[in-house]
Amino acid sequence: MIKSIVSFLFGIFFLFSSCSKDRSFDERELHLISPEKIAGFDPIHASDNYSANEMGKVYEGLFEFHPLKRPYELVPNLAESLPLVSDDGLTYSFKIRAGVHFHDSPAFKDGKGRELKSDDFLYSLKRLADPKLQAKGWWLLDDKIVGLNEWRNKYVAAESSNYGDEIEGLRKIDDYTFSIKLKKPYPQFLYALAMPYTFVVAKEAVEHFAKEFLNHPVGTGPFVLPVFEQTNRIVYTKNPTFREKFYPSEGEEGDDKSGLLADAGKKIPLVDKIIVDIIVESQPKWLSFQKAKADLLEIPKDNFDTAVIAGKDLSPELRSKGIRLFANPQLDVTFFAFNHDDPLFKNKKLRQAMSIAWNRDEANKLFYNKAAIEAQSVIPPGLGGYRKEFKNPYIKFDIDQAKKLLAEAGYPQGKGLPEIKIETRNETVARQLIEHFAKNLDRIGIKIKVSMNTWPELINKVTKRQHQMYTMAWGADYPDAENFLGLLYCPYSSPGSNGANYCNPDFDNLFKMATVLQDGLERNTLYEKMNEMVAVDVPWIFGFNRTKFYLSQAWVRNYKFMEFNHSQFQYLNVDLEVKKELSKKF
Amino acid sequence: MIKYIIRRLLYMIPVLLGVSLIIFVLFNVVSGDPTAVLLGKNATAKQMIDLREQLGLNKSLFAQYLDVVKSAFTFDFGYSWATKQEISKMILQGALPSLCLSAPAFIISTILSLLISIFVAYYRGKGIDLFVRVFCIAGMSISALAYILFFQWFFAYKLGWFEISGFEASFPELISYIALPAIIWIVLSIGPDVRFFRTVILDEIYQDYVRTARSKGLSEIKILLQHVLRNALIPIITYVVIQIPSLILGALLLENFFSIPGLGGMTLNALNASDFPVMKAMAILSSVGYIIFGLISDILYTVADPRIKLK
Repeated sequence: MIKSIVSFLFGIFFLFSSCSKDRSFDERELHLISPEKIAGFDPIHASDNYSANEMGKVYEGLFEFHPLKRPYELVPNLAESLPLVSDDGLTYSFKIRAGVHFHDSPAFKDGKGRELKSDDFLYSLKRLADPKLQAKGWWLLDDKIVGLNEWRNKYVAAESSNYGDEIEGLRKIDDYTFSIKLKKPYPQFLYALAMPYTFVVAKEAVEHFAKEFLNHPVGTGPFVLPVFEQTNRIVYTKNPTFREKFYPSEGEEGDDKSGLLADAGKKIPLVDKIIVDIIVESQPKWLSFQKAKADLLEIPKDNFDTAVIAGKDLSPELRSKGIRLFANPQLDVTFFAFNHDDPLFKNKKLRQAMSIAWNRDEANKLFYNKAAIEAQSVIPPGLGGYRKEFKNPYIKFDIDQAKKLLAEAGYPQGKGLPEIKIETRNETVARQLIEHFAKNLDRIGIKIKVSMNTWPELINKVTKRQHQMYTMAWGADYPDAENFLGLLYCPYSSPGSNGANYCNPDFDNLFKMATVLQDGLERNTLYEKMNEMVAVDVPWIFGFNRTKFYLSQAWVRNYKFMEFNHSQFQYLNVDLEVKKELSKKF
Repeated sequence: MIKYIIRRLLYMIPVLLGVSLIIFVLFNVVSGDPTAVLLGKNATAKQMIDLREQLGLNKSLFAQYLDVVKSAFTFDFGYSWATKQEISKMILQGALPSLCLSAPAFIISTILSLLISIFVAYYRGKGIDLFVRVFCIAGMSISALAYILFFQWFFAYKLGWFEISGFEASFPELISYIALPAIIWIVLSIGPDVRFFRTVILDEIYQDYVRTARSKGLSEIKILLQHVLRNALIPIITYVVIQIPSLILGALLLENFFSIPGLGGMTLNALNASDFPVMKAMAILSSVGYIIFGLISDILYTVADPRIKLK
C-alpha cells in the first residue's frame, strides 16, 4: 500500500517536471527580471525605471545614450543628426530618418506599419502636454515650448483637446523636418528628447485602441509586443521591419579588450526574443538566476554575502559557472531632509551638529556592504559640478565637534531641544537606517522619533509640508547636475521637488544663471559653487551615492552598466554555444 | 425559502451603503490627497490641482460619496488611477490566476482536513490523536513565510520538481507553476482546519443520540460517518463557505513569492499607489461576496439538516 502511494506521488512529481519548459538553445533569448509590475505601455506615463525599460524595447525617441561611451553621450536615434540650433539657442530644427516604419498593427489601414513622419513627433509632444492625459512626464516640457502651456491651459476644462491647433513652438517644415521653439534656453532639452516620455507614438494607434492603447504598443522600436496583458511575463519578439541600425564600432578605452566591440557593425537587435519575468521578492529572483532562468540580476541585498566576497569579489561557486560581477556606482543621492519651514532648522549649527554626529562609515558597512560612497553634497560623482577634491567638512563623524556645535546652537547636550520626528517609508531597511541615525544622535543628546509611512502617506506629508524631517533617495532623470540641484531651488518648494523647502537667495541666483547655460566650463563652475555652498549650509544631512551590483550569465554579451538603460537591450547578445555548454552546470 | 432569499438579497442594500461609507471615509477623508503619488516625483503644483479637478476630488464630499455608492450598485468601477487600466478587466485578468491557485488548494485542504479529523475523532484519546494535535499546533506555530522560503528553495530549487516562480494559464504547464504554492497553502490550512473540524466532530460524539446508536449496536465507523458527521456539518459548512470569497481575493504572500499575477498583488499595488478606484472595487466585491456566500451557507443548512426552515 505504502509502496503504491509513494510510486503515485513520484509519478505526479515527474508529471510536474515534464510540464516545465526546457531551456531553448535554438533562439537567442534574453531572460530578464523586472522587480515591479508594469502598468501599461504609454510612454507619457513611464515615470519609473522599470516602466521606462519596457518602453525602450518597443518605442524610440529622437536621441539615445551611446551604449558604451562614458560620460554619457547623446547620439541621434530617430533623428538623422544632432539638431541645428539658432543663434539665440531657442529654436531647434530636427531632421528625422527616412524609411523608418511603425510596427505592423490593425491600427493602420492595411495592417502594415506606415512610415514615420515629423507630424508624429509633434503629435507625441502634444500628447505629453494634453491636460486630459495628465502625463507624468509633463514637467519636462512645462513652461519650456512657446505656446504649449497656453494650448494645455486652453483645454484644462474642456471635454477633449484639439490636436489640430497650431502651436507656435511646434512647427512642421516638411515630412522629415520640424522645429521646436523654446521660451528660454533649456540646455537639458536634448536629454528630454532621449527620455521615454517623449518617445514617438502613432496617432492611428492612439485613436484605434483608444482607452486600450496602453495595452497595444505600436512603436518603431527593435522589438514587438502585439498585446500587453497584466501578467507577470512579457515576451517581446524581434521587430521584422526594424530599420538598418548597427552595433557601434567605438566605445570607451578598454571596451575592445573586454569584448564589447565584438559585434561592431552587426545589425541590431542581436537577440530574437526578450522575456521579462516580473518577480518582486528577493528569494525567487536569486533562485531563478541560480537556475539560469534569468540572464541578468541586480543582487538582492539578502544574497549579497553569498554572491560577493569581501565586498568586491565574486564567490568561487558563481565564478565556476562563468558568471560575471559588475559593480556600478549610481547617479543618485540619499539624504535626510530638514523641513526649513520649521523654525528649529533655521539654526545652521544644529543642522551641522546633526550631520557630523552620524557615523556614515558604520552605516555604509551595515546597509550598503561598504560599497556606497559617502555623499559630499547634492551632486553625485560622474556629473559635471562634482569636484573630486572637495571634501564636505560636515560629513566626517566627529562626536566631540558635534557636541560643541550643538552647544553653540543653544542646546548643550541636547537640553531644551524637542524630540525630532523623521518620516520614512514603511520598509525594514529604511527603518533600520533611521534607527542607526537615531542611535548616533542620541549620543549627543538629540532624541529622534521615527514615523513609518506608506509611500502615499509619506508623499502626502512632504507635499503638504506636514513633516519635520524625512528621508529619501533621488536618482538622476538625465545626466545633468541641474536635476539634483533643483531639489534645493526655492521656487520648487513643496508641493514641488524641493521637499526640504530650502530657500537660499544666493543659491537660487546661481541656479537661475546656470540653468540657461549650455554644458561647459562656465556652467560646471557654477554647479561646483552651488554644490559646495549647500555642503556647508547643510540643508540636508547628506547620505550616500549608492553602488548597485549586477550579475550576468557567461553567455550574455555586450553588457555594460547604463544608468539610462531603456535602449540598451537591443545591443545585448546571447552566445548560444556558451549557453549550451555552461547550462549543464546549473 | 424564495422570500427568505429575496429578503437576504435586499439586505445587501443597507450593507452596501454602509460599506460604501466606510470605504469612502477611509480612502477619501483619512488617506488624503493621492495626486502627488499618482503624478510621480516631478509633479508640479499646477498639475496636482488639475488632476484633483479631473478625478473629481474637488467635488463636495457628498457628491463624491454618491459616486462611490453608484459604482457599488452598478459595478461600474471605471479605470484605475494608477495603471489607467479598466478595473473590471484588471479584476477578470487577476481572478483567474488567483482561483487557479486557491480553488484546488482550498478543495484539497478541506477534504484532507475533514478526512484527518474523522480519523483522529475515531481514534480520539489514542496516540495518533495526540500526534496529529501536536503536529497541527507545531505546524501552525511556524510562520507562513518560513514554509514558503523553505519549500521554494528545497522543492523548486534544490530538487527541481517545480518551477521557482511564474504562471502559465495553459494546461498542463499550469501544474508545474501552481503545484508548489498549492501544496504550501494545503500545509498552512491543515493545522487550523483539522483542529476546528475535530472539535466540532468531538462535540457531536458525546451527544445522547450517539449513545443511543451505540446501544442499538451500530458500528463506530457507521455512527461517525452517517450520524455524527451529518450533524457536525452545520458549523463546518459555515466555516468552509465563508472562506470562499477570500479565495477570489487571492493569497498575497504566495502570489508575491511565486509571481502569480493574482488579485492579492493587484490590491497591494493599489494600496501603495493610492489607487482608490481599485481599492474601492475590491472592497465592494468582497463585501458582496461575503453576503452571497453567507446566503449560500444558509441554504446549505437546509440541505444538511432538513429540520432547518428558512423563514
